[in-house]
Amino acid sequence: MINFNAIRSNLLQIYAIIEKNIKLNIRFKYSIIFTFINPIIWVLMPLIVMGQLFEFSDQFGLWTVENYLVFQFIAYNIYLLKDIVSEFPGQLGREKFWKTLPALMIAPFNRFNLLLGIFLSRLFLISIPFVVFFILCYIFIPISIPTILFIIGIFFAIALIFSGMGLIIGVFTISNENIANFLSFSLALIFWASCISYPFEIFPGILQTIINLNPLYYIFELLRIGWVDNNPLITISSNPFPFFILITCLISLPCIGVLIFNRVFKKYGIVGY
Amino acid sequence: MAENIIETFDLTKIYKLKGGKGEILALDKVNLSINEGEIFGLLGPNGAGKTTMVQILTTLLQPTSGYAIVDGYNILKKPKHVKNKVGLMLESDMLYYRITGYDNLKFFCQIYHIPNYKDKIHKMADEFGLNNWLNQYVEHFSSGMKMKLALCRTLLLDPKILFLDEPTLGLDVKSTTFIINKLKNLNRTVFLTSHNMNVVEKLCNRIAFINKGKIVKIGNKNELKKLMQSEIKVELELNENNGQLKYELTQQEFINEIIETDFGFIISLKEREYYKDLFSILRKYTILKVKERETSIEDLFLKII
Repeated sequence: MINFNAIRSNLLQIYAIIEKNIKLNIRFKYSIIFTFINPIIWVLMPLIVMGQLFEFSDQFGLWTVENYLVFQFIAYNIYLLKDIVSEFPGQLGREKFWKTLPALMIAPFNRFNLLLGIFLSRLFLISIPFVVFFILCYIFIPISIPTILFIIGIFFAIALIFSGMGLIIGVFTISNENIANFLSFSLALIFWASCISYPFEIFPGILQTIINLNPLYYIFELLRIGWVDNNPLITISSNPFPFFILITCLISLPCIGVLIFNRVFKKYGIVGY
Repeated sequence: MAENIIETFDLTKIYKLKGGKGEILALDKVNLSINEGEIFGLLGPNGAGKTTMVQILTTLLQPTSGYAIVDGYNILKKPKHVKNKVGLMLESDMLYYRITGYDNLKFFCQIYHIPNYKDKIHKMADEFGLNNWLNQYVEHFSSGMKMKLALCRTLLLDPKILFLDEPTLGLDVKSTTFIINKLKNLNRTVFLTSHNMNVVEKLCNRIAFINKGKIVKIGNKNELKKLMQSEIKVELELNENNGQLKYELTQQEFINEIIETDFGFIISLKEREYYKDLFSILRKYTILKVKERETSIEDLFLKII
């Protein structure tokens, strides 16, 4: 039987975390503004490079002269969401430094609420540039309403997957910063080899093999395929493996994140401050 | 007979030193029991294990061995239940400086599902004299105000047991007195750790002394003071530093210790019966004032630790 009271109290806790995080983040507004500007720098170079590459060839796999701008705007939104990963260690690290962490950690709430609170507050803060770039994509290549919902669903799933990763790095920021730095570096490598803003086809063979082993590549590729196909059913049926990876990561990573968070915090507690 | 609300069983915590170069025994098989409703003080020097004890009892830290029962729940098996029962105030105020005082209180009230929190926040802020400051960023608060706000937060959450780790550290006399008076009238179990003997003496029903992770003495205030009763402390106020008097006093076997102060000396007599011998010496000098000093917890602390 559904316990509505429990659901309500969990939602209230998530809301409290979102409200607190947003207030803490907008205290110094420039940091938020630069959160929006930074991804532009990240996609600007690929945008220029790709423009030049299309003078030599009309197509690189899925990427064409007609759609590469849309793919770069999608990449901008992925970079915006990528900030969620760093938000977890960033926020938990700040709370450790501010010494507010003990008050938070002895509060009786489920760590999923912490995950969702940080995730949704970040989503709220990046919502305006995200929507702007989504609309830009739509202007260049319009898509149907079911595809819009499908693409937003994938973005949402990616954000949740990133939250799971963020929570894992976050707990090590609290308990063992060495491991946190190692994980952050490993994640940077994974992102580097995930074809966020370049087509898979332009990379040399050895890198293509590495990229093929990277689950994030399939998830990001699904976004681009979904946009070009403009039919969620065709996208899913013709790309079952990327869709399977997306669903698997979506279910497993937040759960693994919470599990590791609880285990590590229970064993090591707050270390280093 | 009051029921035990906190019980520890061979509670031990070992910290490993960097590079495997030994260990620090922060808590060494500590067995304590605290009654419901009592204000219990844990006294000890820096590094004695006080904060470790509080962190373990509030589930922030896992013991290396042993366990504790807090309000009927094992801290290792039912940490969530324990969290629902305890309130914690550390020497760091654990406040978000970048948001307002009101937002700080509101956040924790929402997390703990406190009903009608808006009214409660204003009522409590009024009691603590913080109402005019509630909508200011905490970074603008003085240390005393921050501590008051931290206490406000802890009390708003209505915990059954209050853990206070050095709640008056760095505060002026006025703020300290305010916090002491507030805590005195709480009518709930308080577990207090402090260096400040004055605070502990004024507040606590029972006191334990901890040193190097071990409880070295435990008892109620009067029992502990009785331990010191055979020793008499006498304060001598002189109009000038009298080296001759000090020399003569140090030669006496009935005097345990002479401490030089700004105004003269504090002398520890072995027994009350030696007053007569002391006065026969003092008669030869110009003494402004002679006063017997009441034995304090601080004296006992200095003797034990």
